[in-house]
Formats: sequence, structure tokens, C-alpha cells
Amino acid sequence: MSRRTMAVVVGTVVVGAALLVGLRMARDENGATESAATDAGSFTATAWGEPNLTGVWRAAPLGAGSGRDTFNLAKLEGLYTPEARARMKELSAKDDPTMRCTPPAFPRAAMLGYPVQIIQRPGFAFVFTEAYPVFRIIPTTGRAHTSGQYLFPTHLGDSTARWEGDTLVVDVISFNGEGWLASPQDRPTNASTGVWLTSDAMHVVERWRRIDPDTLEYQARVEDPKTLTMPWETPKVTFKRQTVDRIEEVLCRPEDGPETYLARLGS
Amino acid sequence: MSVRKFAMLAVLTCSGIAVLALFVAIGPSRASAQIRTYKPPQTAAPGADWTKRIEEILPPGVESRAEATARIAAYKPDPVKYPVPRTPWDGKPDFSGVYWPDATITPPPVPLESLYRPEAREYREGGGAAAGLIDWRGIDTPNYHCWPPSPVNGSMGGTVQLVSAPGHLLLLNEGGSNFRIIPIVGEHGPQPSSSRKPSFQGSSVGHWEGDTLVVEVTNFNGKPWLGAAQPPNRLPQTSSDALRIVERWSRPDAQIFEYRLVVEDPKMLTAPWTGSADRRGILPYDTVQESLCFLDPELDARHREFAAKEAKKRGAVR
Repeated sequence: MSRRTMAVVVGTVVVGAALLVGLRMARDENGATESAATDAGSFTATAWGEPNLTGVWRAAPLGAGSGRDTFNLAKLEGLYTPEARARMKELSAKDDPTMRCTPPAFPRAAMLGYPVQIIQRPGFAFVFTEAYPVFRIIPTTGRAHTSGQYLFPTHLGDSTARWEGDTLVVDVISFNGEGWLASPQDRPTNASTGVWLTSDAMHVVERWRRIDPDTLEYQARVEDPKTLTMPWETPKVTFKRQTVDRIEEVLCRPEDGPETYLARLGS
Repeated sequence: MSVRKFAMLAVLTCSGIAVLALFVAIGPSRASAQIRTYKPPQTAAPGADWTKRIEEILPPGVESRAEATARIAAYKPDPVKYPVPRTPWDGKPDFSGVYWPDATITPPPVPLESLYRPEAREYREGGGAAAGLIDWRGIDTPNYHCWPPSPVNGSMGGTVQLVSAPGHLLLLNEGGSNFRIIPIVGEHGPQPSSSRKPSFQGSSVGHWEGDTLVVEVTNFNGKPWLGAAQPPNRLPQTSSDALRIVERWSRPDAQIFEYRLVVEDPKMLTAPWTGSADRRGILPYDTVQESLCFLDPELDARHREFAAKEAKKRGAVR
């Protein structure tokens, strides 16, 4: 009995010391605040045993232009059907739905470089975006999509997810076809139109995985038989953990106009 | 039975509002596509309520909003029959659910208007921080600009989803897709950031007092209206950056949650104001749906016209 108590005490001390050292190192490394450090020890699992994706995350902005392509967009451009290309030639930057404050769906939301917050509870994950603020409700139990009776097309689509090991695999359908897959300034080739159409047949499969206390990896596969000849894979997006406890409120309001809004977002 | 009622009522309410909004926005001006003189939107008759007009077209057997509200208001909580759900991680009440409609169980002891400082009159006449933007003498309200619902309602709109998560209460509005993230201080909660920018919905920090979640909301941007204007008699109930709200969230049983609040704004009000105690009934859904707020282009054009006119007026004064 007393030996067991002893073992528990020693174990606790060892684990505690290791944690303290780890925290000190994490803090020294990047001057992180307490909030990031205190959560770091329990990053691997939630209280109910699921992988823990909770936190505020931010990735570097990705895209294509002037010789660089960090989001596999040249590939995407090559996948558009002739019909889709014809329609894309008739549109321009001003037709980008985000100019009307329409929230971009993932994966586009993941390439913009703005913060994302994830909060979990048993059976659900919630994803909040700071830019063009909206929430996504993602059931994580592998249940079926919303039934047809209640399913209607939306900007962000209908999500359902399951855990594959420590990866949250999210299946998204029922988009309204208004969103774009990238931004007007993304022009990977000389022939680029800067227009990135989708259709209501789009189907997105996302993979979210926390690879260490401060890093969340994101990758998506986009199928859209009405506009793409083959599925398109995004590269891996690396989100880094932020030290704030929640995202800012940055509303996109009509009176601001898109220019003002984009300027506010940048600040 | 009540599931179907709620669903039908929700659909009817939404379509009713959409039809009315379209009518208000487009109806009067469809005839002339050319540049026209500014006419404020049609003012609803005093006391007119859209929900009444919607209820006139309800099929028989469907509970109206008024009926649902009365039923929720008269409901006697029964925690034995409907035990309070509790979270597996801290045993505190679990607020998770989709709720509708909003029923007042105790009205405010005094009207908010009675506490407004007389010297705030000029500021309010201009529309406060919405000066030159919101034409409150028409039927124009912050809602028409897609601002989040008033903080006096907890920034809650029509149908609202609450989510309890470790260290958090989340509020997800169906209408407009606004959300609030309320960190709860304690074992499971993070240290709240102190560096957030002022905002429409403020920064919230919650803590438990027994089974009641007490949320202090500060760091507002001075723009929200605590109550809309009622032209020509009541001015917009503007707020300031000194606004501070203390909310008390409770879950008497599994069928409802209750919401109380005290509003302080020393720059606008002579004393703290106790709002109504409200209650919402749970619906048999586990998610709200995407329903973004978009401004009708016609209405947007009117707002811009109004703003330009106001700017010119002020320029002339100078």
C-alpha cells in the first residue's frame, strides 16, 4: 500500500517536473504567454479521449502569382472543364463572392492566412473563422449527412466527420455553387483568369490533424464533376497555435465596403 | 407533434420575413429604375408586428409564435421529470441545445428609456456611433445593416444554439450566423486574452456561481443600440464604450434555459438597468442552419444615398 502511494508520488513528481521543464522551454523559445503553455501538456486528448484540436490557429497566406504557387493552383486550373473555362473568361475580380461579404468555404478559408478557432465537445467540433466570420458545426461521430428533407444548399456546405486515428476526416456536401476555390489575385499561369468557380456538385474531404502542441495540419480534396475533370488535392496547410484565447470580432459590413474591410482585416 | 409545429412555424416565419423584407425593400421603387429622390422606407404602423401578420396565414393546428411564447412563459420547470443535463467534464449544467422562442418571465422593473441621461439626447438624435449611417426616422434599424443582435438580448437573435464545451459557452445564432465565444474561467478554461479589440458583441468572461453561469461583457465598440428607435417618439437607445453587461445564465430543467442581465453604461444611463428575465424552450434539433445576413442591393443603395445626404448636410453646416 505505502509502496504504491510512494510510486504514485514519485510518478507525479517526475511527470510534473518533465512538464515544468517542457513548459519553460516552450515559453523561452517564443515568448509564448501562459495560456498557450498551460494547455500544452494536455494537447493530445480531450477529457473524453478524442484527439484535441482546440485552440486558435493561423497559417501563412498561400496562393499563386509572380512565379510562385503555394496552393497547387496551376494543377487546379488545368482541371477545369471547357464549359467552366468559358464561363470563367466572362467573369472578373469584382465577381468574387467575398467582395459581397460572402464567407469563403474551406479549403479557400484555409489559404487566406486569417485566424481560425476550433472548439470541441463530445460528438462535435466547431470551427470559427475570424475573417468573414461564420461558424461550422461538424458532427464527429461519423453519422450520416443531414437528411434530404432538411438539407439545402449553403455557402459552407453540410459537414459530417469521423476520426481516422488522430485525423479528423470531414466530408462536406450541399454547397450552393456560389463560392470560389481561390482569390482573384491567384494567377499561377499567364493564361489565368483569376476566377475559380465551383458548382453545387462540389464534394470536399478535409483532413485535420494536430501533429504537435503548436501545429495543426490541414489538407483537402475537392471533387466537382460539374466544373472539374478530376479531383484536386490541396497541399498540406500548416496552422500554428496562437497565444490568444479567442479570435477577434471582424465583421464584414455593407457600409464598410470590401476595400475598407480588407484593410481592417490586414491590421 | 410540437416538432412539426416548430418546423412549420420556423419555415413560415422565415418565408414571411423574407417576403415582407422583399416587399419593403423592392416594392415601392420597382417602377422607376432611374435615379430617384430619397424616400425613407415605409414605416410600420405603431404597434404593428410582423409576427401577427405571419400568424394570420398559419395553417390550423400549428402553434403560433405567440402561443409558443405564452406556453414557455407559463411553463413550470420540473427538474425531477426533466433533469438538468450536466457535462461529463465538470458536472456543471450543460446548456447545449437549439432554443426558440424568447419568452419574458419577469419584465424590467423600470423601462430602459427612463434611465437615459437628458444630456445624451443630441447624441441619440444623431444615431450615436451610427450617425449619418442609420436612417432611424424611417424603419431603418441596425438589423438592416447586418449588425449583430443587440447585446441587451445577449446578442441572441431568433433561433439560437448554445453549446457547452470545456472552458466555453458558445452561442450560435441561426439568423445572420453571428456567434459569441464565452470563455469560462476555471480548471478547463484558458486565461482570457486582455488584448482584444472593442467590438459589437464585446468581450465576455464567464465564471460559475453554483449552477449559474455569470458572464461579464465589456470592451464594446460603442456602436450597438440597446433598443431601436420608435419614430417619432423614441430616440435610438444608443450605447457607449463604457457599456458593461453582467449576464446570468441558468438551466432550471432540460426543457428551458433562462437569461437575466444588468446593463451599466455611465455615459448614457443614470443608473444600472435590470433587463427582463427571459426564457427559451428547447427544440428537438442539434444544429442550427446557415442563414447569412445579406443586404438587399436596393436597401443598400438607400443606405448609401442617406449617408451621402447626411454627409452633405454636415458639410454645409461647417
